[in-house]
Amino acid sequence: MRVLLAEDEPHLCEQVKKLLNAEGRVVDIVNNGVDALHLGTTEPYDMIILDLGLPERDGISVLREWRGAGIKTPVLILTARDGWSERVDGLDAGADDYMTKPFHLPELAARVRAILRRQSGQLNPVIEMGNVVLDTRNGRVTADGVPVDLTAQEIAVLTYLAHNAGRLIPRTELSEHIYEYDGDRDSNTIAVFINRLRKKLGPDLITTVRGRGYMIDSI
Amino acid sequence: MLSLRQRALLGGIASGALSVGVGTLAVFSYIDSRVSNRFDTALRDRHTQLVVGLSVTTQNPDFLRDLMFDPAYSAPYSGRYWQVTNSDGEIFTSASLFDETIAEPPGSPENVTLWTTSGPEDEAVRSAYQEITYEDGTVWGISVAESQTQLIDERRAAQRSLLPVFAVVGLIGVAGSLLLMSIILGPLRKLQTDVAHRWDSDDDLKPADYPNEVAPLVEDLNQLMRRNRDIVSGSRRHAADLAHALKTPTTILRNELQGLSETGVKTDIAQEALDRVDAQLSRSLARLRAMNTAELTHSRTDLAHSVDRLARLFSTIAERDGKVLEVKSDPELWVRMDTQDIEEVLGNLLDNAVKWCRSTVRLTAKRQEGCIEIRIEDNGPGIPEDARREALRSGGRLDTSVRGSGLGLAIAIDLLNAYGARLDLGISDSLGGLKGRVAIPTKISATSE
Repeated sequence: MRVLLAEDEPHLCEQVKKLLNAEGRVVDIVNNGVDALHLGTTEPYDMIILDLGLPERDGISVLREWRGAGIKTPVLILTARDGWSERVDGLDAGADDYMTKPFHLPELAARVRAILRRQSGQLNPVIEMGNVVLDTRNGRVTADGVPVDLTAQEIAVLTYLAHNAGRLIPRTELSEHIYEYDGDRDSNTIAVFINRLRKKLGPDLITTVRGRGYMIDSI
Repeated sequence: MLSLRQRALLGGIASGALSVGVGTLAVFSYIDSRVSNRFDTALRDRHTQLVVGLSVTTQNPDFLRDLMFDPAYSAPYSGRYWQVTNSDGEIFTSASLFDETIAEPPGSPENVTLWTTSGPEDEAVRSAYQEITYEDGTVWGISVAESQTQLIDERRAAQRSLLPVFAVVGLIGVAGSLLLMSIILGPLRKLQTDVAHRWDSDDDLKPADYPNEVAPLVEDLNQLMRRNRDIVSGSRRHAADLAHALKTPTTILRNELQGLSETGVKTDIAQEALDRVDAQLSRSLARLRAMNTAELTHSRTDLAHSVDRLARLFSTIAERDGKVLEVKSDPELWVRMDTQDIEEVLGNLLDNAVKWCRSTVRLTAKRQEGCIEIRIEDNGPGIPEDARREALRSGGRLDTSVRGSGLGLAIAIDLLNAYGARLDLGISDSLGGLKGRVAIPTKISATSE
């Protein structure tokens, strides 16, 4: 799952990125409103974390422009503006959730998970796919009850497929959601990750539709 | 300091009294002079009559009593007298003088001399005297006199008839001053009304609507109000920038402490200190905003709209926890508070109620005598009476684990105090939990203004 983080404080960006990476999410960081508007409009993010007090362009106006342009990506506002009026304004502008600074990282992680689950229709943070269980709260995976050690990229692929279970995911879409904006998007590496997942979790979990993409059966 | 109206009244009375006083003196003096002249003329005529009468009776002056036929000359002490004196000192008088005589002026003047002397029974009389030498060679001192009582009575009668006229003139003068002041104050009253309505909108006052003398003041007021707006928005921007500048680093610190605690380092004390810093920061920033806002803006907020906005948010939050928010608000309710401030107050109280209620929160907003009343009630555990008083007195101790001691209540009290509004805490009759009653005055008080 790919997340856009629009925040102008580099240390906070690193903390949030580290947190989300640990759960198998890919994070792109922008530090101003203009870049946030551009990437949010042009890249297929699974969700956006948006600071309101961004340089160059205010977060609320960026959000309104996204919604005006029909961008439906879930947005979590993360801001120092803690007034109730501002919260209502933010939610009325189209935000899906509103968190104020200072915040606890575990709470942010939980809210991100909740938004992504709502987005994919998965109400349970623990996704069961036959004998394979993915806990989205911590990125841990078990097969037949036995913990399986997966790399961050493997968790990212599995999480995206699991959140979109029952839908055929083209290889390009998969790469768009597991690589960062500046990352090397060699689609051949997708096949490598899929093969590794099959070896670790069993050959039947992920179905390949030749020339079209991959799919996990409906849960 | 005296009001302009009082000044106008006092000024009108003073100028009325002065003009009436001076006018009265002038008119009375004129009347005095006219009455005296008329009196003297009549005296001269009677003197001439006596001179002519004596001219034919110099040899038999006693016959004068028959010639001077005025009945007043016959009645003793009637106030009208004549007297002739020959060169031998013989004195002949009217019967009215009885056994008295009239003094003659010194120097035996040959022209008619008018003078005031005393007559019978020391009565003040006006006398006309002349010494005349007739053709037969006899020399006579001829006097006619008349009591001044009539003159004085005539003067008094004229004064009495004029006094009410002058009183009316004085009153007209005072009323005229008040009318004049009212006309002059008209533009200032309009300015007062316009300024009061100006707080309800962001339009500038129009100097062209006022007289030339007031238009510069209107322009100055516009500048002052623009400056107030700038101060408020600058202050809010400053508070927002400060919040962003301080809260982001404290978030980073908090996250670093969290990371350390996960590696086994004890960070409880540091995290608690950070909590206190965050809470104090939030309260100080809210106070900073409240301080300038209430003094410099006279905003009006559509309360029903704000209640509707907050109800949308808190209904969602309550439903998430299986709770219900009931809202009942009269239409067309306006409060004299900035929108963000009233929403901050209500948001904090609703947040508290939703957090602590068992199942139901009820918000009621309605107009009461002299204020707009907003009640937020719940069916939670409430707050003991002592704690309620303490919460209102101290504005909260910033202890989020005890109801009524949290930051939200403290900020709500600070904001309401800034607007001269108040918060009372009690027990809800209908739901049994805490009842927060906010009363916002419908008129701006002098202190909050």
